Amino acid sequence: MNVADWVVLLGTIVGIAAYGSWRTRHVRSLSTYLRGNTSTGWGTIGLSVMATQASAITFLSIPGQGFESGIGFVQNYFGLPLALIVVCAVFLPMYRRLNVYTAYEFLGQRFDEKTRLLAAGLFLLQRGLATGVTIYAPAIIISTVLGWPLDLVIVFTGLLVIVYTVTGGSEAVALTHKWQMAVISAGMVTAMVVLLLRLPDGLGFTGAASVAGALGKLQAVDFSLDPSRRYTVWTGVFGGLFLSLSYFGTDQSQVQRYIGGAALREGRLGLMFNAVLKIPMQFVILLLGALLFVFYQFAPPPVFFNQVEWRRHAQDGRFRAIEAEHASAVAQSQSAIRAWLQARASDDTAREASARAAMVAASSRTDAIRAEAKAALVAADPRAKTKDSDYVFITFILTQLPHGAVGLLVAVMFAAALSSKASELAALGTTTTIDFWRHFRPLAAADEARNMRVARRFTALWGVFAVAFALFAGFAENLIEAINILGSIFYGVLLGLFLVAFFLRRVGGSAVFFAAVTAQALVIVMYFSLNIGYLWYNLIGCAACIALSVALQAVLPPRALDDEGRAG
Amino acid sequence: MTPAPRPDERSEAEPPGIPGFGTWRGVYLFVFGWFVLVVILLTVFTRIFS
Repeated sequence: MNVADWVVLLGTIVGIAAYGSWRTRHVRSLSTYLRGNTSTGWGTIGLSVMATQASAITFLSIPGQGFESGIGFVQNYFGLPLALIVVCAVFLPMYRRLNVYTAYEFLGQRFDEKTRLLAAGLFLLQRGLATGVTIYAPAIIISTVLGWPLDLVIVFTGLLVIVYTVTGGSEAVALTHKWQMAVISAGMVTAMVVLLLRLPDGLGFTGAASVAGALGKLQAVDFSLDPSRRYTVWTGVFGGLFLSLSYFGTDQSQVQRYIGGAALREGRLGLMFNAVLKIPMQFVILLLGALLFVFYQFAPPPVFFNQVEWRRHAQDGRFRAIEAEHASAVAQSQSAIRAWLQARASDDTAREASARAAMVAASSRTDAIRAEAKAALVAADPRAKTKDSDYVFITFILTQLPHGAVGLLVAVMFAAALSSKASELAALGTTTTIDFWRHFRPLAAADEARNMRVARRFTALWGVFAVAFALFAGFAENLIEAINILGSIFYGVLLGLFLVAFFLRRVGGSAVFFAAVTAQALVIVMYFSLNIGYLWYNLIGCAACIALSVALQAVLPPRALDDEGRAG
Repeated sequence: MTPAPRPDERSEAEPPGIPGFGTWRGVYLFVFGWFVLVVILLTVFTRIFS
């Protein structure tokens, strides 16, 4: 990175944070601090919902996923538009009508305080653990590639987000999201344009897509019914529906984004904006990864994209031999691709089929050598990090983009990290204040100034916790998956609680509380004992919570029902 | 126990304020139709390039 890159990076990231803090420095109303400005329009809400979901991992890992496994991951988002329709029609009107600060307040009004505390506790547990990962994941990649100290990156991003989130609360979060999304969009468009311009002459988008498709990278949909397959249309529609319904309907980091605004209409349109754009956006990011795969068929790629890790361990002649073997395999693969492109243009079906088989075989050989390189790393050091797909896109950025654009793309990663982190901190601070602190200090609820001070302190405390967690915890390699698995374990039951609240009017607090505790234990036991796609746990947790609620309600002694009746 | 509250019926009557859409149900149907179209396009994309 040169001076131009630094100017772009610091100008955008620090500039946006400073702007958010400055514009919201006079926020004194608890409602504005926790729910945002009452004049917020649907565009800001829509971008804020999108920015909350799009973390830095989205822009680092998903192109890598497209590179490594193809674009089938897009199916993961198939349930999202359907879920957002349900949230718009059922959840959002209820939250606004009851004028709640958090989604869990609604459960307290519908059932009882113990159910509210259970749901808020599940949220704090799940989101609190994930919060360290969201700050650590981009930091480890950026610091490794750019040679910056990891601790410094974690502390810098952590402090920046704490300052503006604590200062302006939800209003600052929404305000900064708008500009952060502008930076992210500009950066990703720049990367796609540069990538298309860097493809070999005469190949173009269609040729590159044909190569990617022939090598198995463009299977967007898979209608297989095999439950062990991680991403299919069915896991996407059903598992993804429940995951998205839980995330958008019951996760306070999202609920807080849309319960404010000038009117119900603004929140609804903001959510519909996401329902329309999310799948195309994810498709483009994955396609970028698949096209990167084609690009690296022609521009010699490293055998292992995390070059810092490679150089740390690749000391002896065995690694040099792997590098030489890989270079030779890439050259052969490149020749095979060119031969296939010529055969394809000749309209000779037999020649095309033969050239395609040769190309696939050459590509498989390159993959096998990459696998051999990873095995050699583990043999050299069992603790070596062998997942390098997260480093594919950042390697392209640093080696292929012009100066200025490099700064912009690094700014994309930081903007995404800050935007998701800010929503999480605001939500954690709000839930701790409203659902826990005010519950145990009921007399303090009327003191708005005190509530504001407490909300600021809890937000700052969660920020410090996230930074400390990121600094001192050891994380699994596959971070995006770790977050999704964590979410899938807890979200199903959380959603079950809300669906019972909305649709099963006869079920009371004790039945749903014990059903939720049992369903959560069941999901955890199943996770450690079964081998099924993790998205199914959303469905299982939700279904178990609902079924057990109905069953318990039928067998609970009349006294418990009477107590609930009085409590209600 | 407290019965489940019903969504505010006035909110359903409130028009979305988008040209061409008189009700929220129309907006939801449009979004659902868009989703179906996207899945069809992705299926076609898969067939063409895989």
